[in-house]
Amino acid sequence: MNSAAEVSSPRRGTQSFRRRLIGLIAVGEVGVLAAMALLIAFFWLLEPAFLSERNIRAILNVVSFVGIIAIGQTILLVAGEFDLSVGSVAGLSAVVAAKLMTAAALPVTVGILGGIGVGALIGLLNGLIVVRLGIPAFIQTLGMLFIGQGLIQSVTGGYPVYPLPEAINTIGGTDLAFGLGWSFAFFIIAAVAADFVLRRTVLGRNIYATGGNKEVAHLVGINTNACKIGAFITVGALSAIAGMFVMADLGSGGTSIGSGWELTVIAGVVVGGVSLFGGAGTVAGGVVGILMLKVVQSGLVVIGVNSNWQQIAVGVIMVMAVGLDIVRRRYFIAGA
Amino acid sequence: MSTNQAPLFSATAIAKNFGGVQALRGVDFDVVSGEIHALLGQNGAGKSTLVKILNGVHPAGSYTGTIQLDGQPVSFASPADARSNGVGYVPQEIEVLEQLSVAENVFAGRTGLGDGVLVHQRKLEQRAAEIFADLGIDIDPRAYVASLPSAQRHLVMIARAIVMKPRVLMLDEPTASLSGTEVDALFAVLRRLKAQGVAMIYITHRLPEVLAICDRATVLRDGQVAVRIAREDFDAETFIFSMSGQRLQRLFPEHAAPVGTPTALEVRRLSVDGHGGAVHGARDINLSVAAGEIVGLAGLLGSGRSEILHGIYGRVLSEGEIHVGGKEVSIKSPADARAAGIALLTEDRKRDGLLFNLPVGANITIGNLAPLSRRGVVRGGLERNAIVAAMRALNVKASSPRASVTHLSGGNQQKLLFARVLMRAPKVLLLDEPTKGVDAATRHEIYRLVVELADKGVSLLIVASELEELIGLCDRCLVVADGRIVDEFGRGEGGEDRVLRSVTAAQAERQAQVSA
Repeated sequence: MNSAAEVSSPRRGTQSFRRRLIGLIAVGEVGVLAAMALLIAFFWLLEPAFLSERNIRAILNVVSFVGIIAIGQTILLVAGEFDLSVGSVAGLSAVVAAKLMTAAALPVTVGILGGIGVGALIGLLNGLIVVRLGIPAFIQTLGMLFIGQGLIQSVTGGYPVYPLPEAINTIGGTDLAFGLGWSFAFFIIAAVAADFVLRRTVLGRNIYATGGNKEVAHLVGINTNACKIGAFITVGALSAIAGMFVMADLGSGGTSIGSGWELTVIAGVVVGGVSLFGGAGTVAGGVVGILMLKVVQSGLVVIGVNSNWQQIAVGVIMVMAVGLDIVRRRYFIAGA
Repeated sequence: MSTNQAPLFSATAIAKNFGGVQALRGVDFDVVSGEIHALLGQNGAGKSTLVKILNGVHPAGSYTGTIQLDGQPVSFASPADARSNGVGYVPQEIEVLEQLSVAENVFAGRTGLGDGVLVHQRKLEQRAAEIFADLGIDIDPRAYVASLPSAQRHLVMIARAIVMKPRVLMLDEPTASLSGTEVDALFAVLRRLKAQGVAMIYITHRLPEVLAICDRATVLRDGQVAVRIAREDFDAETFIFSMSGQRLQRLFPEHAAPVGTPTALEVRRLSVDGHGGAVHGARDINLSVAAGEIVGLAGLLGSGRSEILHGIYGRVLSEGEIHVGGKEVSIKSPADARAAGIALLTEDRKRDGLLFNLPVGANITIGNLAPLSRRGVVRGGLERNAIVAAMRALNVKASSPRASVTHLSGGNQQKLLFARVLMRAPKVLLLDEPTKGVDAATRHEIYRLVVELADKGVSLLIVASELEELIGLCDRCLVVADGRIVDEFGRGEGGEDRVLRSVTAAQAERQAQVSA
């Protein structure tokens, strides 16, 4: 049985090239990268200022906040669930941390840990309710979105928490390189680590199996419930961290932190080839997807398109991306 | 029954093939008014294909042959078309609308029930009540179907078919989910319909029911009519003989039952709940498998044979004791079973076997990554070598370990799943329909593999619908009926007829118990 791993046909060269090409398209990241390169070229040709240092910095800065959440959202989508409450969790964690540092006069570290704790706890709650009670993630996390909004208002009374301890302003104001600060550094490190976990570890493989077919994963001995709940907790904690970075950047615990992020994040990672149906996608893809979304938004501003059209563009791109995802599944992954 | 009467509904020379596989080879079948005609045969004999043709699921044009109703040729484009021509069908699976009331279910799909687009609820309930009274069914038309037990749901489905005032009614295993007294109630309904002149086609695996209620029987085997029997000549022995027949002997690799090897798997008083519908659980199962022994679980679909495997593997909750290698193990999940050295190959590759989002290689190693990793990180080279070795050992033909599993043939998909379950070198291997949907060549590879594993000391417990295969392959067969083991025989001590006879005897006994 020598033909197990190799195809022994004279046309092997072209066949394997074709297969490799199909494989690349199937992965999804390459397609998004190519599309992004085209878009960047397009905006740059129309308005060279698009590639100005200031504009690039602005894009990367925004991406670093939502990108942190996109990492968690990607893991959760791969595990076969999703979370609509990330924006609320980001905002709530930020104001809770701010309150702990100011009103409760606790050390900055305790405040930060408290913020992360709030995010992780909400993630745990979402996960337990979705997995154990069988309430669809859509309903549970949509509910949590409203609950979070309400809690933000009741924690703050509707007023931003201000002023914050000097340490927080320092975190927000640090320029590590190219005008980018700690949030960007954290984003890069977290993205690389998460990509490695999904790509190379046993845990990552188990998450793909869980999202691909929960029953099969269960039958091969994987604790699918733990995978899903763990992913929910990860999203919650990362949302909290993103929210607190924004707070540090603004220098106040604003009540509008994170509002509207949930859809941006999901749109972004889906554009990057992360499947809404679970079991497919990579952190690299999700991150590139959200970057592309921000490139489009920024590019439209730079070339002077009316802001209403920016919203329309985001909508169109997301629907197209999901359409591509469905086509890709039909041809490369299929089933049934 | 008056077989000299002109048939009300008849099919002549019906032939159909599915992509080269001849499912029906020229079947003649007819039913007269006021007759209950049993349609019998083993799994795969062609019963369901014939029924699907007769009620329009396989539309006219997809088969050859003619269908006549009242002497006039008819061709049905869809089940709805058949219904409007007076041919009703009650499927085996319960297909009710749970959130609606009984009356709404009975009239589901009907129009013109009220004023314009509005449904007249009270009129609906009145008419449903009339139909139930007529049939002697005691169900409140206003009750929600969700609150009904499965037997009553089945009666609701029969009422739904009867509302159309069918002249021909097909019932596919109507007693599969019913208990003894409920079967009696159903029979009373059928007798009333018979008195009203309805022609009925009764598909079943249960011979005692045929003896109890049917007027004529047609036995299908290998897509042909094996025999047609009138009520005067009804006899369980005749049915069993004609259903099993003598088919081409397949060659099974030789295997001698091991002598004096220790017991590898012992199951004591295992009980598994059924999960509603036509699926029974299993009760009080005692069985043991010696090291190197191949044991088969024979029985009809829904008899509880798969549930026994699922119970042992921890896929469903079970009660009782499971001993592996002489030690009692507590199995609450598949992870526990795997830790005890038990592996399961599931029946349905697409639903609970393959991971379509992962390539061939990862499909083999999923769940087996612990020895191929260090501190939780998969070691690429080790994994690749393991995959190539496994693919070679089991002759899995794929272009590369990174190829998609979608495009593999059924046989290769099955071998891939064998590679997955064998990677941890299990001591006990549970196989659920290991040759389902695979080609003849792969079938033989799988037979050889099973014998090879047994020779190496692995204990195998196999479920297969093809009795011939099971009897040819196994050292010992346990016959399962209604969730119990009712017979046991060793290699050479019995054939397909013995299985069918034991099942029939068990069913008759159960019916007698219930009536008593």
